[in-house]
Amino acid sequence: MKDLKENIFRTIITIGAVLSGILVLLVFFYILKESIPFFREVSYKEYLFSSSWRPLSTNPAYSFLPMISATLYVSFLAILIATPLSVGCGLFLSFNTSKKSSRIILSFIDMIAGIPSVIFGFLGLVLLVKFLERNLDMVSGESVLAGALLLSVMLFPYIVTGCTETFMKAKDIYYGASQSLGVSKWYTMRRIILPFARKSIFVNMILALGRAIGETMAVMMVTGNSPIFPKLLGRAETIPSLIALEMGTATYKSLHYSSLYAAGLILIILVLIIQVIAYMINKAGMRRIG
Amino acid sequence: MKKFSFISIILVLVLILTAGCTGQQAAPPAQEGEQEQAETPEGEEAEDEFNPQILFNGSSTLAPVIASISTNFIEGYVTWDKVDPSFPEKNIAIYVSAGGSGQGVKSVIDKTSDFGMVARTVKDSEKEQLPELQEFLVGIDALTLGVNPNNPVLTVKDNLTKDEIVKIFSGEYKTWKDLDASLPDKEIIVVTRDIGGGAHEVFQSKVMGDVEVKPDAIQAPSMGALVTKIIENEYAIGYASFGVVNQNIGKVATLKVDGVEATKENILGGSYIIQRPLLAIINGRLTEPQQAFIDYVMSEDGMKVVEEMGFVPAK
Repeated sequence: MKDLKENIFRTIITIGAVLSGILVLLVFFYILKESIPFFREVSYKEYLFSSSWRPLSTNPAYSFLPMISATLYVSFLAILIATPLSVGCGLFLSFNTSKKSSRIILSFIDMIAGIPSVIFGFLGLVLLVKFLERNLDMVSGESVLAGALLLSVMLFPYIVTGCTETFMKAKDIYYGASQSLGVSKWYTMRRIILPFARKSIFVNMILALGRAIGETMAVMMVTGNSPIFPKLLGRAETIPSLIALEMGTATYKSLHYSSLYAAGLILIILVLIIQVIAYMINKAGMRRIG
Repeated sequence: MKKFSFISIILVLVLILTAGCTGQQAAPPAQEGEQEQAETPEGEEAEDEFNPQILFNGSSTLAPVIASISTNFIEGYVTWDKVDPSFPEKNIAIYVSAGGSGQGVKSVIDKTSDFGMVARTVKDSEKEQLPELQEFLVGIDALTLGVNPNNPVLTVKDNLTKDEIVKIFSGEYKTWKDLDASLPDKEIIVVTRDIGGGAHEVFQSKVMGDVEVKPDAIQAPSMGALVTKIIENEYAIGYASFGVVNQNIGKVATLKVDGVEATKENILGGSYIIQRPLLAIINGRLTEPQQAFIDYVMSEDGMKVVEEMGFVPAK
């Protein structure tokens, strides 16, 4: 009786595991399959190294380069803005508040992560874009900067949560010793905690970057979606925006349709590369700390 | 007893899986008939083929219209036997989802919906994949050239020639000053829909011809977003849908095109050139309930909704 129960249970969880594994592979291979016509038709020189995106023109051109660079530009800029703020916030929560209030504040910060991105996009469109128009003398505020600022707010909770955890751990290990040596709190933070958490901060940045690259809605609403090379105060279109905008209206099975799957594949590869880097650094870091 | 509960869990899982599978195949009508048969083995033959569901997918311009008409239809009749006594007493279910004209055609080709909603003419390449295509013209949507009411261009002219429009949208005129020397030296913010969309296609073929829209134009993800941009930015210009402009009277100013104003008469008469048909398409013969619904769409009640939504009714 007991054996039977265990067997059944084992079967169920195995099915679950296999199914979810197959699902990942299915998604990947479906995207690959749908994008093959594109890769066959268009040379890599064109889609990686030329500069125009005109899939429906009588003289069509398919280049993902403007979109790839816009995706990376917006995401990296967002990370650069979000990281110092998040690290500062994490240090504050670990050292300058009581455990109880830092837990409350952290739960509020986590809540930011739960706000739907379309809401961020809407606020960005109404407040941020307008703000940039008024203060930077831009005729139209949709820009890489607007996208990056908005995205940095969205990434903030991810980096804060990850970093604070490490800071707390570091505090447990070193703070007692540094206090008994009479070293100031600020010195401990700068010289002990930050170097200790360097790797962890980096990994959190990379993980947040993966999320930033895939963010669609909020970015789409504030960057203007022009398929041109990104400039800080100029418009740009990221790969997710490209797919979201054009997939609904691309003619079924056309080269345009296939090219959007190809864009999706490139996006997946970008995110995968970033995750592999994060994984390797994390492993190296663990070995050192452990 | 425990054993039975485990077995029942497995049964439920298997059921969910198989249900998922049949859902994915999403059923050409014949198969749906079979499913019905399986569910109601005692039913009569006419009932076997009766499918109380109608699925619409496609153009985000047409979707609210069809959704609104279908709401009236469902609320008015509730069950099919009230529509026509020969139909069985089943609840009417009409599902409308929006995803763009291309998806509308695609969903009919791969049979994930019964009707496709298309806000442009169906292309020849698409017709090849739809051997038994039937089109129903529900209404006409026109694109007007919309600017912000505070745009200084309105003090100078109320009309743009086709040539001027092409120069504005292609980026040959970079600032409003290029259009008219008395206007301020501010960038012309061109707002378009996504380049694959039905609206853009109409604009491209009716106005731009072979000239490309400048790549640094803003692409709005929906007609609403496009009009919002015009309402919020003094120096923006875009092709706003006639319907959406009518919903925002006073907030968007329209310009004549080659001296022709975008009015209902001019659109129906064809003298206003930037217009597109709103079509419901189907591949194959209509089933009786589908015919009944299409009749309702084409009736006075249906056409009234089309007009209320700001489009030009087909009848």
